[in-house]
Amino acid sequence: MTRFARLDLLDPLEVARLGGIEVTTEGVVEGFLSGLHRSPRRGFSVEFAEHRMYQPGDELRYVDWKILGRNDRLYVKQYEEETNLRAMAVLDVSRSMAWTGAPETVLPKLDYARRLVAALSLVLLRQRDATGLIAFDDEVRRIVPPRARLSHWRQLVQTLAELQAGQGTAAEPALRRVVDQLRRRGLVVFVSDLLLDRALALTALRFLRHRGHQVLVLHLLDPAEVDLAGPAEARFEDPETREAVVLRPRDWAGAYRETLRQVIGDWRLACRRHGIRYHQVITTTPFGTVLREALAPAAATRAG
Amino acid sequence: MIGFLHPWALAGLAAAAIPVLLHLLARREPPTVVFPAVRYLITTTREHQRRLKLQNLLLLLLRTLLIVALVLAAAGPTLPLRGVAGHAPGALVVILDNSPSSGAVVAGSPRLAQLRSAAREVLARATPEDAVWLITAEGVPQRGDSRALADQVGALAVSPRRLDLGAAITAADGVLAPESRRGGIVLLTDLQASAVTRAEPRVPLVVGRPSDPPPPNAGIARLATGAQPWSSDGGRIMVSLAGDSGAAVPLVARLDRRPQRQALAHVGGAATLALPGAPSGWWTVTAELDPDELRSDDQRISAVRIAAVAGVSCSAAERYVAAACGVLESNRRITRGEEITLGRLGPRGSVVEPPADPAALGALNRALAARGVTWRYGALTLAATSTDSGPAVGRVRVLRRYRLESTASGRTGVIATAGGEPWLVRSGGVVLLGSRLDPAWTELPVSAGFMPFMDLLLNRLARGEVSLAEGSPGDPIPVPDLVTTVRQAEREWRVEGGGSFRPPDVGTYYLLSGRDTLGAISANLDPRETLLRPASDGQVRRLWQGAQVVPLPDAAGLAFASGSLGDLRGSFLWLAVALGLGEMALATGRRRER
Repeated sequence: MTRFARLDLLDPLEVARLGGIEVTTEGVVEGFLSGLHRSPRRGFSVEFAEHRMYQPGDELRYVDWKILGRNDRLYVKQYEEETNLRAMAVLDVSRSMAWTGAPETVLPKLDYARRLVAALSLVLLRQRDATGLIAFDDEVRRIVPPRARLSHWRQLVQTLAELQAGQGTAAEPALRRVVDQLRRRGLVVFVSDLLLDRALALTALRFLRHRGHQVLVLHLLDPAEVDLAGPAEARFEDPETREAVVLRPRDWAGAYRETLRQVIGDWRLACRRHGIRYHQVITTTPFGTVLREALAPAAATRAG
Repeated sequence: MIGFLHPWALAGLAAAAIPVLLHLLARREPPTVVFPAVRYLITTTREHQRRLKLQNLLLLLLRTLLIVALVLAAAGPTLPLRGVAGHAPGALVVILDNSPSSGAVVAGSPRLAQLRSAAREVLARATPEDAVWLITAEGVPQRGDSRALADQVGALAVSPRRLDLGAAITAADGVLAPESRRGGIVLLTDLQASAVTRAEPRVPLVVGRPSDPPPPNAGIARLATGAQPWSSDGGRIMVSLAGDSGAAVPLVARLDRRPQRQALAHVGGAATLALPGAPSGWWTVTAELDPDELRSDDQRISAVRIAAVAGVSCSAAERYVAAACGVLESNRRITRGEEITLGRLGPRGSVVEPPADPAALGALNRALAARGVTWRYGALTLAATSTDSGPAVGRVRVLRRYRLESTASGRTGVIATAGGEPWLVRSGGVVLLGSRLDPAWTELPVSAGFMPFMDLLLNRLARGEVSLAEGSPGDPIPVPDLVTTVRQAEREWRVEGGGSFRPPDVGTYYLLSGRDTLGAISANLDPRETLLRPASDGQVRRLWQGAQVVPLPDAAGLAFASGSLGDLRGSFLWLAVALGLGEMALATGRRRER
């Protein structure tokens, strides 16, 4: 087994300790791809994909002359290059994303998100899918337009590495900026802890769906956000808003778990209602697992 | 009003503050934890805050009440409840009056039998958790379990000792004072009026008294044997009668087992009888009435000393001494002889006066020392003083005296004092007077008590004998110096001269110093026992505030009635269990929610 063999199945923190984003992400993707039953590279080439009826305006060079000779009908060839996906990762870099409940054992959500987006981008780029990035906190911080060249990944990785946790969270402007980057229908991957204005975010996500984009929401959750713990009594403070509440975790753990379940349920329901795919991602989940969940339907979409 | 068996345990109520204190301590400024999902916490608390607060408050209340219930249960709460079958553990003192008057026969049976029956009924109501004491005429509170005390009561006989009911109640009160359990006193008595003295019991007092009136009674209140020793010709006794029969009763008296003399005496009056003489020695005189319902006061005894009168050598030079000798001789209280030398140190028994010439004092002291006398004459004191009244000498003025100084350790042999200092002392057969028997030295020769004093001095003091003492069984009776042993028939008690002796029973007790008999104690019933008239309920309530006076059979029902106390310990324990279960259920529910 090589050093990078099946890094996609390792604990994210262990993966992160192996090296920089670039190196480790490659390892993750290699592992992920080699683990698939059928290599996603096959059929993803620039070779012929399908036929369709000729329509006025189509370039004549794509007319399949053989079919015309046999059947006297005009069909044009469609190539893989034309059906390739254009994907935008919209990454939340607010202050809450920089948090981890256990710095020694769990990656901060932002670090996890960096590697996840890098891996996702690499997979897409290897499929010749144009991939871009929008990072936001309370405003849009960085935009990397989508490109299909594999060398584009280096730029994405560098951008991801340079990102710093910002302040608040305002997803709606960032999501609307996606429209500028994806003029055709494409894939929008929204990576966030969703500690934001849900109504505004959903409005923006619905808008994207309305524009024909496939939307995937990856809801990042730190394990400590799932199971409330802490000292006998503590003052819990929001790193973004400085809102605070004093309570005894033991007393409130059950009710909190119920509230979180309700929040996740609401997100899941709202997303499903508008054709948005939603995935809850605990930051201890191996990257490969998340990639599989995120990319398999994406490939199907692209094929369709 | 709720009471407590162990009120000190109530100090544990302070522990009830522990849950509140813990709650307050836990409310100090908590540490800050950065947590991004605070909005979910706020949502959570907004929805559950009220319910949780209520739960917390309820838990706090349950825990506090649990501690309070446990502490109260430990303190042994009781509640006066009428008609309850049982009673809370209590402390009870049963005073059973078995004084001589309880021996009176009423309706064919002794009064004591009724009292014993009532006492057993009281004791039968005691539980093993009760503390029970029994006080009888012996006066010593005895603690024991109810069964053992009941056996003791069953075997109880009439005591010769008088029982002062007020003192007995006070003693019972003292026994109960340190008791944390609710106390009570049950007094079972014939309620003889003369025994009812004031007391202030701090605990409920139930007085059980017989319903039927006492029988008429007559008894011998006093037996006086007169001046002693008697001569071999005999002597006279005076017998005083007491009682409420009011009739004339036949009286007999005898000297030991010699033929008895009879007389008819009136109750409330006195009779004088002459008894025949006997050889020298100690004799017992017995006076007796015909039997009546109270037998124990129908007889009275006393000791008499029969001896020939002293043969005295008197100095004719001393006017007052010579006159006294003459009077005593004419009255056959002394004879002329050499047994006692009066006024100077003689070869045998002597009554020594200080010399009129101070120059002769040194020779006298040397002669006394040579004789082995442990006293000597000291300095002359001209300060006027008085003798301290006592059995030998009344209170008379002393103008001049020599200090009498003991040459041995202690001051044994002091018969009378003047101004707190020895004035009349004895050592062996020698009696020393601090003053000369002359009006220039003391007013005794010109006082009315001079002749009795001289009689006592010559016939008893100079002969080494002491006066007879009288008393009742159980009373402390002073014993003179030099007495080492008290003997009655075959029984003997070692005593310390100058201390006291309590005769255990009716009888004559002889006071011994080595092999010599120095005197006797005549112990007879307290004459007040003869009067059986009971105190009225009003008198009882006035002297013993709050006392319940009930017929004897009803006393048992009220014994623990201070009484019918409901024991609330079980109730509080059950309450604690219920509170504990409630707390557990609530806390478990909370944990499940987590």
